[in-house]
Amino acid sequence: MTSSPLDRITSYQAVMFITNFIFGAGILTLPRTTTEKIKTPDSWIAIIVSGLIITLLAVIILKLCQRYPNETFYQFNQKLLGKWVGSLLSLTVISYYIALSAYEVRTMAETTRLFLLQGTPTWAIMMPFLWIGLYLVQGGVNAIARLLEIIFPITVIFFLLVMFLGMKIFEVDNLRPVLGSGVKPVLKGLTTSSLSFAGFEILLFIFMFMKEKNKVTKVPLLGVAIPFIYYSFTVVIVIGSLSVDAVVSQTWPVLTFVRSFEITGLLFERFDSLILVIWIMQIFATYVIALFIATLGLKQIFSKSTHAFIYSLIPLIYLVSMIPKNINEVFKMADIIGNFSLCLFSIMPLILFIISKVKERKYEKM
Amino acid sequence: MKWRRLNKNKMKIEESAKKAKQDKQPFQESINEVTGNLTADLNLIRKEIGHNSDVKFREFQMGTTGIRIAIIFIDGFADADVINNHILVDFMSASPKETGHPLKNSSLKDYIKNQALSVSGLNEVRTLKDITSGVMFGSIAILVDGLEDVFLVGGAKAKTRNIDEPATEGSVRGPRVGFIENLKDNTALLRRHGKDQNLSIISSQVGERSKKELVIIYMKDIVDPHLLEEVKQRINKIKIDDVHDSSYIEQLIEDNFLSPFPQVQSTERLDRVMSALMEGRIALLLDGSPFALIVPVTFHMLLQSPEDYYERWMAATLIRILRYFSAFIALFGPSLYIAFISFHPGLIPTKLIFSIAATREGVPFPPLIEALIMELSIEVLREAGLRLPKPIGQSIGIVGGLVIGEAAVQAGIVSPIMVIVVAVTAISSFTLPQYNVGIALRMLRFASMLFASVFGLYGVILFFLLLCSHLVRLKSFGIPYVSPAVSFRLNDWKDFMIRVPLFLMKRRPKLLHPKDSVRKR
Repeated sequence: MTSSPLDRITSYQAVMFITNFIFGAGILTLPRTTTEKIKTPDSWIAIIVSGLIITLLAVIILKLCQRYPNETFYQFNQKLLGKWVGSLLSLTVISYYIALSAYEVRTMAETTRLFLLQGTPTWAIMMPFLWIGLYLVQGGVNAIARLLEIIFPITVIFFLLVMFLGMKIFEVDNLRPVLGSGVKPVLKGLTTSSLSFAGFEILLFIFMFMKEKNKVTKVPLLGVAIPFIYYSFTVVIVIGSLSVDAVVSQTWPVLTFVRSFEITGLLFERFDSLILVIWIMQIFATYVIALFIATLGLKQIFSKSTHAFIYSLIPLIYLVSMIPKNINEVFKMADIIGNFSLCLFSIMPLILFIISKVKERKYEKM
Repeated sequence: MKWRRLNKNKMKIEESAKKAKQDKQPFQESINEVTGNLTADLNLIRKEIGHNSDVKFREFQMGTTGIRIAIIFIDGFADADVINNHILVDFMSASPKETGHPLKNSSLKDYIKNQALSVSGLNEVRTLKDITSGVMFGSIAILVDGLEDVFLVGGAKAKTRNIDEPATEGSVRGPRVGFIENLKDNTALLRRHGKDQNLSIISSQVGERSKKELVIIYMKDIVDPHLLEEVKQRINKIKIDDVHDSSYIEQLIEDNFLSPFPQVQSTERLDRVMSALMEGRIALLLDGSPFALIVPVTFHMLLQSPEDYYERWMAATLIRILRYFSAFIALFGPSLYIAFISFHPGLIPTKLIFSIAATREGVPFPPLIEALIMELSIEVLREAGLRLPKPIGQSIGIVGGLVIGEAAVQAGIVSPIMVIVVAVTAISSFTLPQYNVGIALRMLRFASMLFASVFGLYGVILFFLLLCSHLVRLKSFGIPYVSPAVSFRLNDWKDFMIRVPLFLMKRRPKLLHPKDSVRKR
């Protein structure tokens, strides 16, 4: 009763996994990263288009997973690609997640140092954060799912509330003209805007834990739709309030936007630090999920179930996160990680899906 | 090397324990049976328990037959009414019909059981151990010359107090019935208020030396059988010499002893137990303790009061939200103050920060020390007020309040704003309907203050994340402690932060997996 043989998560919790994993540090820079390439106020169109593409990819991943309902990606890729290639691919994926969690932690530390704790050394900010993640990941997939369910409503509602408070400096003119320079810039921005959806591939790893495995197309749909709506909303509001030029010149456009208005007569007048503090929870969620998937991969490749992997990953993540020397290198790291994930997870599931189809047909012929 | 030594030590301890067991064995295994010879039997029993001054032996003859009878009982503990009005009267006036044959063995036994003795509870035992333990637990042992069976009659009749309103859980509306120390009275109360044939009361014994009765109470057709099995198993694992109070049971069956949060609900209120049973939970009652234990428990249950259901739903909902708010303040009040004052004064409205700065002028300590001084003195005051006799306790409260509130500010040790923060926090923690939740939050408040003083708002968030990480990992008897906030089910949210009108609460909480889920049609 106290411990079921395998932890299970509900469909709703799976949606939480996808959504929370897509959210992360990215949203704080999202208006800038998309607009930098596009240079017109049309970023929101790019977001919408890329959102649709990502949804399609997520559904393909779901279909792939449904062929192997009781295995994670780490296990079934060995069946499809052979033991060695599969293990190699898994190790690549694991190192990707280590890098990702390192990036999330570092970004968190950088923003915290900038907005909340000037003068506090980066390691001091990162250490407790890493340790708490360590403690949580030991609780397994259920504990993480429950935490996501707690922090998701808090962060999202608070974020939306603050966004709405800024409505008074919103000007529609900043968003005009729509498609003024044609479709081309939007297409150019598609890759960067798709980067913000990195994380949809989480379904590859958590599908095994889901209680309900058939008729769950709504899970990837909803999981991508929530950040999709959210991103479009944020980009529209921030660009609409700050104008394209200001957005491109700001490191953290969302925080600049929140800083640019004051509400008098409420308990607080400024919300930039508050929203950052709230968003730290969201970064924590992304970091924890990445850490969890990395440890899960190590456990399944070496088929050992110990906590030793988690303990060994924490220093590794710390070291990786300290590689970038300054904030610009952190952003470079983000670009590399994002591009890598996009290449990996947009093409690979499709290939694996085709391979599994082909193999199945062969099997039938025999 | 060290662990080897430790291991050796362990082995030594185990060996000595084995030896001790072996030494004990012969005593336990020699079962002295009653012989039927009254004088010999009495001597045997006297040797065993006769040295106690309160054990009384009374010998007499049965009516006109001349058969010798002895009763053994504990003076003041056994029911004197039964002895005087039933046993003595029955036997002394017994006049078995002359059948020609002298009454012997089975016929004598049948006669006593069927015609002579007019009491309801009658046990027959044979071994010395059963007799002595029966007598020690308040029964009256009846030895009849020539019979190899000994009758044990009646139970203890200890003095009990009246049924009062529980002092620790007051309420404005609702039944004013609380449990008392006597188990039989408590189960009778439950039977009277829960008139359901499925109300099951299962008895078991705990305590190796002092054997106390512990009953497991549940609704047979609602409770999840896995849960029941788990509870029974955990109770069976209890091996301790004596349990003084049900809180011993609580600490021995809880899931995680390292957690600051109570994982078993304890209550004196009958209505609370009844509603828990109706939700499919299990209650435990220990003889000698007025506190019932309820398992499993989730965090939101600890913030509920039975009164939430007696008030109309709007008031109840608002009060419940107020309670969540005050739990938040009780936990984070001082730490938020510390974080804002020492790290992020820019977040506070300008006018407010000026007035705070003005009052803090001349205070020599950083906010953390200031807060610690105040919080500690409040805790000290609370503890002092609790331990002293009631009239003195109250005056301590007034004197202490004056000292802390007025004089400390005048002396410039703390700022008046700090006094307000600490006072609001303390009052907030009093609104929690369960005493032990209040303690948990008070402990955690200090940790949260430390986090805040090191990392400011970031520290508060870190602490929140740590707390959540702990809570999501915690389970109470297999039920996630943070349900129903997680594993979202609309049905369970009807009775979470808000309390919907009763006619909408059609189903029992699903998180407990009840067998019969319909509450109202």
